[in-house]
Amino acid sequence: MEQTNEHLESTVSTEPAELRRINMPATLAICFAGWLIPGLSHILIGRWIRGLIFAACVIVMFVLGLGMHGKLYDLNVEEPLQLLGFIANLGAGLPYFIAERMGLGVGAQTAQGYDYGTTYLWVCGLLNFLIVLDAFDIAQGRKP
Amino acid sequence: MNLSHFVALTIFALIVSTVFALITKNEPKEQFRYGVFVFLSFVAVAFAVGWLMYPLPL
Repeated sequence: MEQTNEHLESTVSTEPAELRRINMPATLAICFAGWLIPGLSHILIGRWIRGLIFAACVIVMFVLGLGMHGKLYDLNVEEPLQLLGFIANLGAGLPYFIAERMGLGVGAQTAQGYDYGTTYLWVCGLLNFLIVLDAFDIAQGRKP
Repeated sequence: MNLSHFVALTIFALIVSTVFALITKNEPKEQFRYGVFVFLSFVAVAFAVGWLMYPLPL
């Protein structure tokens, strides 16, 4: 009887199915791509729907932030606190660089949506950092 | 673009709750439940804090 129980325990495993793991250089490349183009990391891993939803969320938030006259921060060592805003904005990846290049995100403090717009721009960058970390976990087989 | 405060916070809550739900949960049903919970929490807390601050002289 004991033997039967042991046999059952060995065949019916409660462990989750083994997760696919991608090697570290490829994972880092995927994460870099995901940072540059929001949602791309999940698309490269094969999570199409999730990737497209993430891309839509980050890009819509970024565009709305710019539309509400939010401010994009650039690297300014004279104002150390602005460095935090810069890091948050940088999370958006390529959209940030394009907007900076086009002279957008100057930030009109008199505009009604200035505060909301600036917050939108910060948060979409921070969300993209979280999305990249999620892609890293998936690529490393830490989550399904 | 001039969005009202309520519309701006609703869009914000919608996008953030969508991303949070997809990141933290794996099953679609769980994702939906968690997303709705986070969204409603955002809106409810915004209302609560708004009413708490209403009597304050600003």
